[in-house]
Amino acid sequence: MRLVFPLLFLYLATNAFAAEPVITYDEHIKPIFREHCLKCHGEDEHKAGLNLSTHATVLKGGSGGAAVVAGRASTSLLFKAITDTDDESRMPPKKAPLPAAQIELIRTWIQTGLRESSESQSLAAARDIGFKPVANAAAKVDGPPPMPEKLPPFTAPVTKRPLPVVAMAASPTAPLLAVAGQEYVRLIDLNTQQPLGALPFPEGQPNVIRFSHDGQVLMVAGGKPVQSGCVVLYDVRSGKRLTSVGDETDAVLAADLSPDQKLIALGGSGKVVKVYGTTDGKLRYKLTKHTDWITAVAFSPDGSKLASADRAGGIILWDTASGGILLTLAEHKAAVRALAWRGDSRMLASGGEDGQLVWWDVQDGWPAILNNNAHPPARATGVYGKIPNGVIALAFGPAGELLSAGRDRQVRLWAADGKALRAFPNDASLPLQAAIRNDGKTFVAGDAAGQLHFWAGNAKP
Amino acid sequence: MVSKAFLLFTCLTLIASGPLAVSEEAVQAPSFRRDVMPVFFRATCNTGTCHGSARGKDGFMLSLFGYDAKGDYYRITQELVGRRVNLAVPEQSLLLLKATGKVPHTGGERFTKDSPYYKTLLSWIEAGALDDSAAVPLPVEITLAPERMVFEGGKGSEQVTVTARYSDGSKRDVTDLALFATNNPSTAAISKTGLVTAGGRGDTFVFARFNRFTIGSEVIVLPDDKNYQWTNPPVQNEFDGIVYDRLQKLRLLPSELCDDETFLRRVTLDLAGTLPSLEEYRAFIADTSKDKRTALVDRLIKSDGFTDLWTDLWAEMLRVKGGGYAPTATDTKAAEVYYEWIHDQMAQNRPLNEFISDQVTSTGSNLTNGPANFYTMLVHDTKFTPKNFASDFSQLLTGVRIQCAECHNHPFDRWTQDDYYGWVSFFTGIKRKQGSEPREFYIYNDMAAAPAKHLVDERPMPATVLGGEAPVPKGVDPRKALAAWLTSPKNELFAHNLANRIWAHFMGRGLVEPLDDMRVSNPPTNKPLLDCLAKRLADSGFNLRALARDICTSRIYQLSARPNKTNATDERQFSRSQLRRLRADVLLDSIVKATDGERSFSSFPKGIKAVQQYPRSSGDTTGAMTGDPFFTTFGRAGRATVCACDTKMEPTLSQTLHFIAGDTMQAQMGAGRVVPKAIEANRPPEAIIEELYIRALSRKPDAAELKALLEMVGTNTKDRKVYEDIFWSLLTSSEFIFNH
Repeated sequence: MRLVFPLLFLYLATNAFAAEPVITYDEHIKPIFREHCLKCHGEDEHKAGLNLSTHATVLKGGSGGAAVVAGRASTSLLFKAITDTDDESRMPPKKAPLPAAQIELIRTWIQTGLRESSESQSLAAARDIGFKPVANAAAKVDGPPPMPEKLPPFTAPVTKRPLPVVAMAASPTAPLLAVAGQEYVRLIDLNTQQPLGALPFPEGQPNVIRFSHDGQVLMVAGGKPVQSGCVVLYDVRSGKRLTSVGDETDAVLAADLSPDQKLIALGGSGKVVKVYGTTDGKLRYKLTKHTDWITAVAFSPDGSKLASADRAGGIILWDTASGGILLTLAEHKAAVRALAWRGDSRMLASGGEDGQLVWWDVQDGWPAILNNNAHPPARATGVYGKIPNGVIALAFGPAGELLSAGRDRQVRLWAADGKALRAFPNDASLPLQAAIRNDGKTFVAGDAAGQLHFWAGNAKP
Repeated sequence: MVSKAFLLFTCLTLIASGPLAVSEEAVQAPSFRRDVMPVFFRATCNTGTCHGSARGKDGFMLSLFGYDAKGDYYRITQELVGRRVNLAVPEQSLLLLKATGKVPHTGGERFTKDSPYYKTLLSWIEAGALDDSAAVPLPVEITLAPERMVFEGGKGSEQVTVTARYSDGSKRDVTDLALFATNNPSTAAISKTGLVTAGGRGDTFVFARFNRFTIGSEVIVLPDDKNYQWTNPPVQNEFDGIVYDRLQKLRLLPSELCDDETFLRRVTLDLAGTLPSLEEYRAFIADTSKDKRTALVDRLIKSDGFTDLWTDLWAEMLRVKGGGYAPTATDTKAAEVYYEWIHDQMAQNRPLNEFISDQVTSTGSNLTNGPANFYTMLVHDTKFTPKNFASDFSQLLTGVRIQCAECHNHPFDRWTQDDYYGWVSFFTGIKRKQGSEPREFYIYNDMAAAPAKHLVDERPMPATVLGGEAPVPKGVDPRKALAAWLTSPKNELFAHNLANRIWAHFMGRGLVEPLDDMRVSNPPTNKPLLDCLAKRLADSGFNLRALARDICTSRIYQLSARPNKTNATDERQFSRSQLRRLRADVLLDSIVKATDGERSFSSFPKGIKAVQQYPRSSGDTTGAMTGDPFFTTFGRAGRATVCACDTKMEPTLSQTLHFIAGDTMQAQMGAGRVVPKAIEANRPPEAIIEELYIRALSRKPDAAELKALLEMVGTNTKDRKVYEDIFWSLLTSSEFIFNH
C-alpha cells in the first residue's frame, strides 16, 4: 500500500508529459489575438508598429523590438504586457486581464517554441542537456577514501535544542556526511549512519558546509549574526584546522571552495561576493554587482566559473580567473536559496522562494529546464492566496541527478535531464538541506528540528 | 521496473545526537499573537518607518502595526531558519540581539535585557518559538481610564490605564504594551508609559493604541481664573444649552448677541448664498416685531436661493462636471440631467436619506436617470475602479477614510482590512454598458461579479457594511442592503457626517475637522452637540431645511464675532461667531448683487447665478475644473477628488491682485451703474455713501467713516470717480469678503 502514492505520482507525471497538446498560432493563439488585440495591433492599425494578425508579423515584433522570444515567456514583451500587474500598463488597455486560461495558452505557446501550425517545428532551439560524466567530476584520491581517523576529542556544547540543520554536505569521495551543530560540525558515517565525531567551530553557527573536490578538506562558513563571520578549512582525516579566511562583520551566509582549493568565495548581508586566496588569506577580488544579500555561491566543478545568487532573485556567472561577469541569469522573482552545479559543469541548478527550480545551460545562460512550481504545497480547504512554495536546498549526485528540498516539506529527486523521479514524503519538520552520498545510493535531508532523514535508493527510474 | 526501485527504499530517521530539550513549560509559554506581537507594536518595531514599511527595513519586514501575524511568524521563524530565532541558543537569536542593541541596529536599543518585553520574547523562543493554535484569545475591545481628566490652573499629571478585553472574556492590563499619543501636546502631554501632564489652557484628547484598537480620553486644562462667573445668557434652543454646558466646563463665556445688520447679512449669505438687497435691508431694520429674526430665517429657507445654494453644495460634493469626452461617461448632457435631478430634490426638500439612497441603488441611463450619474461623476474615468469608488463613497457619505485599511488595519481608528475589503465588494459588480449613442452609458450591477480579495490571504470578502458582523444576504442587489444600512436613522456614521457638514456650513467650522476625516482619534470638539444635531436630523426625517432652521434660530448662531475677555482664542467651541471667507461662487454672486451687475458664464445661458453654475468643458473631465477663472482664483473646488479640502478658503496673492488689477470689480460697477444712477437722481453725498455701505456691507457707515468720506468727496459731489473709488474700497475690504 505504501507504494501507491509514489507510483501514482509517477504515472501522472509521465502521462501529463506525453499528452501535452501542441499549441499553435493558427489554432489557439490567433483567436485570442482576434478577440482582444487585433483592433489596435492588426492589419488595419498597428499601434507601436506591432501587427499580431499573422505568424510572420508576430515574429517580426514592433517598434519596441521582438514581441516574443521562443522558449521564454518570462522575457517576451508580449507576455509581460498581458501579465503586467499595473492596471495602467497592462494590455489590453483599460480592461480586465485576459482570462487565466488564455494567458496560460499564450505562455505554453511561447515556451514550446511559437509553432505556427501543427506541422511547424518548434522555434525553440533544441539543445543537448544530457549528462556526460567527465574526468574531473570527482577527483581521484590516492589510497583509501578520506574518512576521519583520529579526531581530537570534542564535547558538543549543551544547547536548549539541537540546531536546525542549516548546513550539511556529503563527501564526493567517501561515505561521509558533515552536519551543522551550534559551534561545531558533526561527522556521520553514511555506512552506519552513526556519528564519527565532531569538529569545533567556535566562530559560531555554521551556515555553509562544503567538501573539497577530493573530499580531503572540509569547508565550514558561518559566524555570529551581525557580529562576525569567517570560513574555516579542516583536514578531514585529522580534523585539524588548516586555515581561516575572511573577517566579516556578519555571519557568512554563502561560501564555496574552488576545486583546486586555491580560492574561497564568500558572501552574506554585505551584498558583495569576496574571493580570497586560501594560501595567504588575502582578498583576490570583490564582485559587487548584486543588489541584495548574497544567498548562495558555487564554483563549477571544472573551476572555470563562479555562480552567485542574491535575495532579490539575481544570479550572476563570473569568470573565476578574472572575476569578470560572464552572464546574468534572470528568471527568479524572489530570493534564490540554493545553487548547485551538475558534475559536468554544463548545468547550474537554482532554486528560489518563488517556487522555481531552474536548470541553466551555462554556455549561453538559457533556462533549459524551467519548473515554476517544483515543490507544490497542498492547499487546505478555505485557504486562499500564495502558500510558500520555495525551493530551499539543492544537491547533485554522481549521475547528474538532483535532490531538492522545498517549503512543501518534501524532498524530491530529479533525473539528470530534469524529469521528476520521485518524492520522499516527509511529515516532520521543514527540510532545510539535501545531500546525496558519493555512490548515489543514499539520499539525506536535514530538517528544522535538527534531525536527519535517510532514504536508500538510486537515481535510476 | 519502477516498483522495483521503490522496493529498495527504506526510511530511517536518525535523532540528532545533541541533548534534546523538552519544552517543560509549554503550557505557560507566551503566545505569539497574544504576547509576542504586542511587543513588536510597543517597541515600535513594526511602524511605517521601520520594519513595518512595505519593503521592510534592512532586509527584515514586519506587517505594519501587526495586521498579519501569520506572515510575521513566517518571516521571523521560517524565512531564514536559525538566524532571527535561534532555538539552540535562544539568547543568541538575532531578534533579541538587535532589539537590545547588542549588535548594530539602525533602530538602536528598543528595550533592555531586564524588561518584560525581553522576557516575553526569550521565553517564547525557549519554548520553541511555536505558532499559535487556532484557539488563542484575541483582544475584542480596549478601554482607557480615566475617561476624562480635568487639570486646574494648568498644573498636575495623571497616569492612565489601558485594559484589553479578550475573546474568551478575560481582561488584562496592557498599559505596558500600549502606545500613547496626544492631539495637542501643548495642552496635554503624554509619556511613553501613559503619564498625562497638563500644559496650557484648552481641551484635547489623549489616545492609547493597542492591537487594532484606538481609544481616547478627554483632557481639559482650565485657566487659573478665580473670577470666572457664568453669566446665564438666554437659551433659545437645545443647541445653546449644550454649547453653554461645554463653555462653562472650559471657563469660557459666549460673546454678545450680534446686531440686526450683522444677523441679516450673515443669515442671508448662509441660507440664500447672496447679500440682502437694499429693500430687504430697509424692511428688516424697520421691522420692530420681536420674532423678526425667526421670520427672516423662515422666509430665506423657502427661497429659491436656498435651493440653488444647496444644489451647488451637493453638486460640488458629488463632483458634477460636464465634458465632451464620451469614454468617461460624463458628458455635459449627463451632468445637466444629474444637476437638474439634484435641484429637484433640493427644491422639494427631499429627505436626505432618500436623496442618497436613490443614488446608491441607481441603475440605468446616465442621460435619462439623474441619480445613475453617481457612479460616473464620482469617478470621472474611463473605467470604474471599485477600490477608489469605495473609498470616495465612504469619505463622502460617512466621513470615514477607509482607504487606510487597504494595506493595513487603520492605525488610528477601528477599521480593519476585513472591513475594507468587505466594503469594496459592494462595488465590484458596478459596470457601464454603451448606450444607443456615444454619450450614453447604462449603469448596472453585475451580481455575478466576484467579491474583492483580502490583501493578506486573498480570501474572497463578500459585501459587508462597515463594522458589520456578517455579509449582506445574497440574491438581491447588495446595494439595496447598503443603502438601507447607510441611511438608517440608527447609522451614526451617516447622520453624524451629514450633521457635521451642515453645521460647518453655518458655523464656519465642523465639530469634526477635517469634515471628511471622522475617526476615533479625531473626536468632535463637542460630542453631545454632534449627537444632538444628528438625532434631530434623523428624527426630522433627514429634513435639511428643518435642521438649517434650528441652527439659524439658535442663539449660538447669532452671537457676535467680537470676542470677550475669556474667548479671544476660542476657535472650536462656538463661543463667538467665526469670521469666514465667502465661498468663491457666493462671493461672485455677492459682487454682482451689490453692484446690480451682470456676469455670464461660458456655455451657460445668460442671467444665471454663480451658484447655479457647474464646471463644463468641451473636453475630458478627469482633471480639476472650477468652471470659471474667478472661481479658480478664489478656491472653488476643482471637483477632482471628493476631499472637502478641495474647497479652499485661504487668502492668496492672486486674489489680492485680482481685486486690484482684475476685471471683475470695474466691469460689475460699470454694468450696474449704481453710482451714475445715484448721481443722476441728484442724491446728496451722505445718501449715496450710505447706499454703497448698505449694498456692500449691509450696514450704514458710522459717524467717523461718514465724516472722513464726506471730506474726501468735498465739493466734487457729482464726481462719479470718487464714489466709485469708495465703492471699490468697500467691495475689496475684508468686511465684504468675509461673513461675520
